[in-house]
Amino acid sequence: MKVLVPVKRVVDANVKIRVKPDKSGVDLTNVKMTVNPFCEIAIEEAVRMKEAGTATEVVAVAVGVSACQEQLRTCLALGADRAVLIETDVDIQPLGVATALKALQEKEQADIILFGKQSIDGDNGQTGQMFAALTGMPQGTFASEVTIENGKAYVTREVDGGLQKISTSLPVVITTDLRLNEPRYASLPNIMKAKKKQMDIFTPEELGVDVTPTLEVLSVEPPPVRAAGIKVESVEELVDKLKNEAKVIP
Amino acid sequence: MSESLDKLFSPTRIKRDADALATWGCDWTRSFPVAPSAVVFPETIEEVQALVVLANAEGLQLVPSGGRTGLSGGAVASHGEVVVSFDRMNRIIGFAPADRLVTCQAGVVTQTLQEFAERQGYFYPVDFASSGSSQLGGNIATNAGGIRVIRYGMTRNWIAGLTVVTGTGEILDCNQGLVKNATGYDLRHLFIGSEGTLGFIVEADVRLTRIPEPQRVMVLGFEEFRGILKVLSHFQSRIELSAFEFFSELALQKVTAHRKLQRPLAKSSPFYALLEFDASAVADASAAFEHTLGEGWVTDGVLSQSDAQAASLWQLREGISESLAPCSPYKNDLSVRITEMPEFLDVVDELMRASYPDFELVWYGHIGDGNLHLNILKPDDLSIEEFYGRCREINPRLFELVQERRGSISAEHGVGLLKKEFLEYSRSPAELEIMRALKSVLDPNGIMNPGKLL
Ligand SMILES: Cc1cc2nc3c(=O)[nH]c(=O)nc-3n(C[C@H](O)[C@H](O)[C@H](O)COP(=O)(O)OP(=O)(O)OC[C@H]3O[C@@H](n4cnc5c(N)ncnc54)[C@H](O)[C@@H]3O)c2cc1C
Repeated sequence: MKVLVPVKRVVDANVKIRVKPDKSGVDLTNVKMTVNPFCEIAIEEAVRMKEAGTATEVVAVAVGVSACQEQLRTCLALGADRAVLIETDVDIQPLGVATALKALQEKEQADIILFGKQSIDGDNGQTGQMFAALTGMPQGTFASEVTIENGKAYVTREVDGGLQKISTSLPVVITTDLRLNEPRYASLPNIMKAKKKQMDIFTPEELGVDVTPTLEVLSVEPPPVRAAGIKVESVEELVDKLKNEAKVIP
Repeated sequence: MSESLDKLFSPTRIKRDADALATWGCDWTRSFPVAPSAVVFPETIEEVQALVVLANAEGLQLVPSGGRTGLSGGAVASHGEVVVSFDRMNRIIGFAPADRLVTCQAGVVTQTLQEFAERQGYFYPVDFASSGSSQLGGNIATNAGGIRVIRYGMTRNWIAGLTVVTGTGEILDCNQGLVKNATGYDLRHLFIGSEGTLGFIVEADVRLTRIPEPQRVMVLGFEEFRGILKVLSHFQSRIELSAFEFFSELALQKVTAHRKLQRPLAKSSPFYALLEFDASAVADASAAFEHTLGEGWVTDGVLSQSDAQAASLWQLREGISESLAPCSPYKNDLSVRITEMPEFLDVVDELMRASYPDFELVWYGHIGDGNLHLNILKPDDLSIEEFYGRCREINPRLFELVQERRGSISAEHGVGLLKKEFLEYSRSPAELEIMRALKSVLDPNGIMNPGKLL
């Protein structure tokens, strides 16, 4: 059984990001980039499937700039068997990614396509679903537990107000939620071995797809700055402010 | 005498209620009686001076108090002293970019200073797990070290000027923030590490440095302690390290359980080291790792792939002290030269096992600085008094081992009340005599932090 794991290169969660002065986007110069945390969970799940004997091959794939190779190497160090980069310099959007991945899936014929539920930069939460729609595959999104048994996938989904259990046939699209697992650290011996693992690079043209963005970003705004807190001298003053300024108590 | 205090401090700036006395009367230690008579909160240097004058006139004894994170009882008031808290002298007074100097009141919280520096595009490198609460004055009074000493040195390295009020009520402006000043005895350094026994630190000019480039973190596993030092020298021969920290498997078990953290390596090892270095050195660091793996000095290792992972790996080291707190540990903070360390660890381990086979030992520390924290955990069936008593019994033999290696019985936590009776293991009679003489000049009436250090 083959597992395909699409991974996205995103800004490190610990970096304080800045909006470019012209509001065209976020300033990414010299900013630390990493594997999107939800994609890391997907890689971890795929590697665990392989360790458990459910999966035979784990393929990591990224769609984006050449530097994505760095994140793919991390995935290889974490246990993916090989990697594919669909290289493009366009500002890739979910539909473009899903289209490119569909073309790759036609070659790879993976049984499970494990996406992160969303990326922490765009926060779109669309790519897995778009891919499922384009390929006509069943999907189990926001997974907090996944079991593959007798040719079926059993997925526990984190839905509003509870958990939903579904089963689907294979091949299947699964998107990972936060609680699915806790990813391991990349071990140094595995980082060394990862340098020798296979990485194929295609262009969208080679796969016969068009990934031109369909949405135009008009403007990116930073969130409003929160006003600083104040210190009050007494309980009376606090109550007064809660009543008359914040108006949170009657 | 308490009326005169009330003349100096308005009611909101003097506290005598039981809660306040219990809170401001002690530091992080929990083993000394806490019994101050009052807590005062001066706001200006002149007020501190007036207080010292009053104390000399009326025989009050004063305990300087910072963030109260000290680990040796230095800020504990056990005998009706007046606690002098710097909580209200917490302003950053000025910043001179060309000098790279920030002028701070003593009560500025260490982390506030770090964040201020960052906003100016600079870096204040002294950092440890208690930075969010400790104050600059307390850091200076204990010459605090922390996790980046290997690259940046101790607090002492960053203090370019110091304003103090001596135990005689004199205000001294030491070294004025100068880089060069060859005019004799540098009194600034006398006050750094003086634990509040010579006077109050009221203001400081703190040097800043450039913000380092992004950092990467490795955690390595070791079968043998000796391997750690071989790895330290090998890495140091190839890259500049920002940190080289060490912890044992038991320390890792405690911290991962307490903070619910993921273990770093697939298999457990008796010892671990955490290394931090510039991201640009990652290729050299990886090559250094390959070499040490080939030599068999390390068994395995991980490398942070993101700043978030680097922060999680750091928690494994920074969370240790806190995770041990429920076990009322007896803390030893020892240093020897790095060369001496493997053999030192062996003999100490042997001594402890022979004397107290029922005690759990947790080793960790700033190994790159030759500094080991040896924490002895209290077995559940012993009372704190009994347990501390037995730990103190072993101290003479432990400290003899330190003395034989010309090491220090307190590397960075200070002497305070906890290590006072053992000072002779690190300081000669001649040195102690000079220290007492200095104390009698700067604080002839013994009003400053009596009973601490000397
Ligand atoms: C979790 C944890 C981790 C720690 N890690 C480290 C570490 O890695 N490295 C390290 O060096 N220390 C460490 N410490 C110890 C402690 O945080 C430091 O010693 C710190 O510098 C103490 O600062 P403070 O403001 O809390 O001082 P306090 O505890 O309030 O006082 C310490 C001493 O300084 C004196 N003092 C305070 N303010 C003044 C002043 N204005 N003028 C004169 N004397 C004054 C006090 O009388 C006392 O003797 C750690 C503590 C904790 C709880």
